[in-house]
Amino acid sequence: MRKEKKVTITINNQQVEVKPGITILNAAREHGIFIPSLCTLENLPSYGACRLCVVEVDGLRGFPTSCTTPVEEGMVIRTDTAEIRTLRQEVLKLLLSEHPGSCLFCGEQNECKQFMGTIRKVGVTTGCRYCPNDARCELQEITEKVGLTETSYPVYYRGFPVEKYDPFYDRDYNLCLLCGRCVRVCNDIRLNGTLSFKQRGKLTTIGPAFDRTHLESGCEFCGACVSVCPTGALSAKVGKWCGKPDNQIETTCTYCATGCQVMLQIKNNEVVDALPDYHSSVDKGLICVKGRFAIPEYIHSVRRISTPQKLTPVGYEDISWDDALDIAAERLKEAKPDEVLIVVSSQLSNEDLFVAQHCARHSIGTENIISSVMSDLGERIAPFLNLAAHSHTFDAIESAQAILTIGFDSTYGYSPLGISIKKASRKGIPLVTLNHFESNLDLFADCAMTVNSSSWTTVLDALIDYVSTGTLNKPLPDRLKVEIAEAAKLFPKDAWNVIIVGPYAFSVPEGKHVLERILTLRNAHGWKVIVAHPYTNLNGMLALGVFPSLKPGDAISTGSNDTSERAAINLTLVDSAKPKKVVYLIGEVPDSFIPECDFLIYQNGIAAEWERKPDLILPSALFAETDGTVISAERRILHINKACDPYMDAKPDWWILGTIEDKMKKSKICYTDMATLEKDMKKSMKGSANGKKALSFKDIDVIGQLTQHTGRDKRFTESRYRGIPLRYVVSGMKVIEDRMETVCEEREGV
Amino acid sequence: MNKLKEKIVSAKKKWEEIENNREPLIFVGAASCGRAAGALELIHEIDAFITNHKIKARVIQVGCIGPCYLEPLVDIKLPGEPRVSYNNVNAKTLSVILKSHLLEGKPHAKLAIGHFGKDTYKDIPPFFELPMLKPQVRIVLRNCGLIDPQDMDHYLAVDGYQGFMNALAMTPEDVIATVRQAGLRGRGGAGFPTYRKWTVCRNAPGEQKYLICNADEGDPGAFMNRSLIESDTHAVLEGMLIAGYAIGASKGIVYIRAEYPLAIERLKHALQQMRENGLLGHNILGSDFSFDIKIKEGAGAFVCGEETALIGSIEGKRGMPRSRPPFPAIAGLFGCPTIINNVETLGTLPNILRNGAQWYTRYGKEGNRGTKTFSLVGKVRRPGLIEVQLGTTLKEIIFDIGGGVQKNFKAIQTGGPSGGCLSEEFLELPVDYESLASVGSIMGSGGLIVMDEDTCIVDVAKYFLDFTQKESCGKCVPCRVGTRHMVEILDRITHGEGVPEDLLALRTLGDTIKKGALCGLGQTAPNPVLTTLRYFRNEYIEHIKDHRCRATVCKDLIEYRVIKEKCTGCQSCVRVCPTGAISGPRSEPHNLDPSKCIKCRSCYEVCRYEAIAGDAIVIRSAEKKS
Repeated sequence: MRKEKKVTITINNQQVEVKPGITILNAAREHGIFIPSLCTLENLPSYGACRLCVVEVDGLRGFPTSCTTPVEEGMVIRTDTAEIRTLRQEVLKLLLSEHPGSCLFCGEQNECKQFMGTIRKVGVTTGCRYCPNDARCELQEITEKVGLTETSYPVYYRGFPVEKYDPFYDRDYNLCLLCGRCVRVCNDIRLNGTLSFKQRGKLTTIGPAFDRTHLESGCEFCGACVSVCPTGALSAKVGKWCGKPDNQIETTCTYCATGCQVMLQIKNNEVVDALPDYHSSVDKGLICVKGRFAIPEYIHSVRRISTPQKLTPVGYEDISWDDALDIAAERLKEAKPDEVLIVVSSQLSNEDLFVAQHCARHSIGTENIISSVMSDLGERIAPFLNLAAHSHTFDAIESAQAILTIGFDSTYGYSPLGISIKKASRKGIPLVTLNHFESNLDLFADCAMTVNSSSWTTVLDALIDYVSTGTLNKPLPDRLKVEIAEAAKLFPKDAWNVIIVGPYAFSVPEGKHVLERILTLRNAHGWKVIVAHPYTNLNGMLALGVFPSLKPGDAISTGSNDTSERAAINLTLVDSAKPKKVVYLIGEVPDSFIPECDFLIYQNGIAAEWERKPDLILPSALFAETDGTVISAERRILHINKACDPYMDAKPDWWILGTIEDKMKKSKICYTDMATLEKDMKKSMKGSANGKKALSFKDIDVIGQLTQHTGRDKRFTESRYRGIPLRYVVSGMKVIEDRMETVCEEREGV
Repeated sequence: MNKLKEKIVSAKKKWEEIENNREPLIFVGAASCGRAAGALELIHEIDAFITNHKIKARVIQVGCIGPCYLEPLVDIKLPGEPRVSYNNVNAKTLSVILKSHLLEGKPHAKLAIGHFGKDTYKDIPPFFELPMLKPQVRIVLRNCGLIDPQDMDHYLAVDGYQGFMNALAMTPEDVIATVRQAGLRGRGGAGFPTYRKWTVCRNAPGEQKYLICNADEGDPGAFMNRSLIESDTHAVLEGMLIAGYAIGASKGIVYIRAEYPLAIERLKHALQQMRENGLLGHNILGSDFSFDIKIKEGAGAFVCGEETALIGSIEGKRGMPRSRPPFPAIAGLFGCPTIINNVETLGTLPNILRNGAQWYTRYGKEGNRGTKTFSLVGKVRRPGLIEVQLGTTLKEIIFDIGGGVQKNFKAIQTGGPSGGCLSEEFLELPVDYESLASVGSIMGSGGLIVMDEDTCIVDVAKYFLDFTQKESCGKCVPCRVGTRHMVEILDRITHGEGVPEDLLALRTLGDTIKKGALCGLGQTAPNPVLTTLRYFRNEYIEHIKDHRCRATVCKDLIEYRVIKEKCTGCQSCVRVCPTGAISGPRSEPHNLDPSKCIKCRSCYEVCRYEAIAGDAIVIRSAEKKS
């Protein structure tokens, strides 16, 4: 490997070697030389607006900004002359004259910090003590480092009202420094474009065009702007007044199968915020609103179940874990195997799922283990599983020669995919979108087809026709003829064509037929398919055999190209209509597919309300409160890391199930400690858990179906975690999902 | 090529028919300034006249010849006679002129200003011997006011596109060498040697290159570029062809401010003519050079005249300047090598390529070759558009060409909001890039505003700074916030609330902004303040310490009153006063109620002009309040 040639430059009389082409600012930072800067940020294109990073360079006139000037061989740079220091202080003074920083130079600020903590939430920020960003503000930091002790200019308070009408984060533009970071991250990194500079001169401010609200302008509420804001101008509503976090833990977001990494911010053993990780190889920091803003309110919801409870004639009684699990074990033991139904959520961790199926098979002796995945998808389960289990990794989009999205909208979810598609389209790769409403990717599309879902099979058939024969042979309805012809031409034969299947594709009545045609494009014509779906650990369920008749490891491909290798799921084994003695819900809420039963066990984090009251309620620990693993849509094995202690008496699901098994005394092995559990779980994953080989699945045969669908179902598009709709506990989710509904209705195709 | 050559032959014949006209020709200056003065109405009248009197005469609309104070200009050329120019024509004088000159064949010497022949003709002096025109060297403006800019044949007849044809016969490198020898410097304000920018672009890697004509002309009151485009459109476009050929561009864009509708119309018309005659498109005139030009209109931002902001604007983004490096010549529009030249720079090129570099070096002086157009406005007797050699002194421009100042000369402002105000001690200063920069001003795009004792210099500084602050794009801190503070301080000073520390604050702020700002707008914004502080410091001190505005402009520092001894009670002031502040019966001295007075100056001006007894109304600076 050829070593990269370095250039030699002189900074402050010190000769150093640096990579060619980097900015002077980065070169200085690499060598421990401090140059203040407010508008620069790693990953953002350089801007040169704050003028704090000015330096002197021999040969360049004036004071160039070090963040925009690349190094050249032999450059002589000075970063700390008296003139530069004066200029920096003057610029900082000007900056502070537009920012209500009254506490910065006050002689009593230390006493104030110590003794007047409650003045913080007065609502109008006129100084640091009143600001949500106190103690974690970059402006405070720089003022200290530059050594400013006073300001000589009158302070102008612009008098904007604090914008609180949009969900998830507040905006106080009186604190805005116009550094432009939020505009750059929104436009250049997220490719969304909600934010821009408005007006000019002293009236310059930032926001969406034409005074629209963020909600109306198509803001994704991804919070990228909030994470890059150096001051308190943009602040998340939850955790706004928590101050500097104690520490941060990186974990995997479990709201959907994408597997984004989030850095949970912990304060006083509570999750107060979730930040993106721009270095993550999974999502590159491009997380969606759910991972960014919907975690704290769920984990710390007031509706969290605190202790085990049993139902008595006079209502619920709090009982101890021992008593509760004794009851559960007894009930499960006395019922016959086919009188028990276990319902798991696809959003449980691998550990939880492994123990759940172990309990079902070894302690109870039944294959009656189902999940809402099966009931949601009904007759579509077979094509869906086959597409999802073999979903291509997301990097297919970067290498694509043409892209087709079906039923996919990335405004409030699946952002890494959405942004990757936008990037590809910007580079010139043809994009065709197929939806029953105007999706957010339509603006980027070469051909945006907004047609009622009843025509989707026609479109796909025409595409298959074109791809097989090179022309459109079948007759097409007039109103679609032109569009289909246009779209079909964009997909060359034998090219790297990529389809992204979104949740709307399987929610429409024609879902099964749509999915089957996608299978044809993949199997017969080599198209790459990526499935975006909310069933977080679906691949974990497949790998660990959490389906009737599918045992742990059965679905995992051993790597041989033997196509006769297939795995089977036999849904006919489960008679979900027949009333049961015991129904045990783990991370699921009752629904129409749950049969009547004598005894209902509900094990979840949040209490749900429905007519049939559970007989036994067991509090689960949620993903931020335990360790574990999940398998993402790309078949990556990702870690969930414990960030805070479980709420009150809540316990991890695998422990609850393991202890029940222990009490039932029907199985020789019971998993009540993590070490044994991990060992056996990994063994069943046939080496793919250790990373020895990449995880892949065999083809899956599904016999039977759990339900049959008609009409469009909201279940796929309303975000849920462990059966509970997010909008139930996170207020902002209600606002954005209502908007999405309106968008779907208003801009429907014919 | 041959098609064009044929067209040139026929064009020259057509022009001859104008020089030796067999029927009367009437020329009317109908560019924006002429129209503003009423030229279109006059044309209407002329048309009516020649129809009614059944005269076989033709009206030709020409551009602006320069002396704005003489507009509207109507010229009559009878067969065998020189073209006679009549100035400040109105409906009344028009009928006199038409009757006398057109109908009766007798030029009206009293109403005429000059003629376009040689030597005096019937008591009318030659136009170009007039004191305003004589010192001028009209290279860029050579056709303005003389040809019909909408008739391509006129342009071809006066050797139009000859320069471009010469360029095509050379290699692009030779064209650049010619421009280098000529010593042409960018006329947009920076004065950067044109050949150097071109060389960088020529050598920059990239297939697609762009040539942009900067016709944004944002300086308030500047109209040199507008005039040139309206009066001699093809000259600018020919310049674009030459420049495009030299740098290897295939696409040209004219970025013109939307506030110039007539100029835009002229451009569209001229571009169409070029296409019809094979001067745009593939393989122009049979060569390897392919080029086409598009028009992009601005949207009302002064900052978009700055190179990188202009590029951003064309790209469809918000017009905000970008840091350099990378320089536009290497990575500009859409990341491709781009050259941006000012309208006047481009308008000069055809002349250089037609007459040769050597010829151009005859004008101006070493390092500052050639001529420059200026808009000479303000308190001069003869305001208008002029063109002089670089190195001409301010005194010559103001007094010889401009006819001097009616009252007392106070200052001259050069370079628009980026320039500075110079006091009377600088009248001998030659107008060239270095000299102006050495005294703290700049040449800029060519605005020259003359001020007299009735101009308050602090108010002027405030006006320019207010403009720059409003136009600041808001990106960088020094410009956006710094200019705001400077305006605030100047505002206080003009309202009598200044404090002595303000002067130092202005200096410090000005210094910070000059050093710290990102683009030219910010870096030059403090110039008006810094130069006035340097050369007119006393006026600032008077405002602050004595609460006095010697030019009687700052309203909070002056008061109006009637001198009872001189008032004749004529009631003229009472009639014009909008608030009824002056009262009093006829023939008795009037009273002025200061609480109602809004200091609009109407009474002062009315009384002064019709003063029989002298100034009965005076404006006096208030005495310092104790």
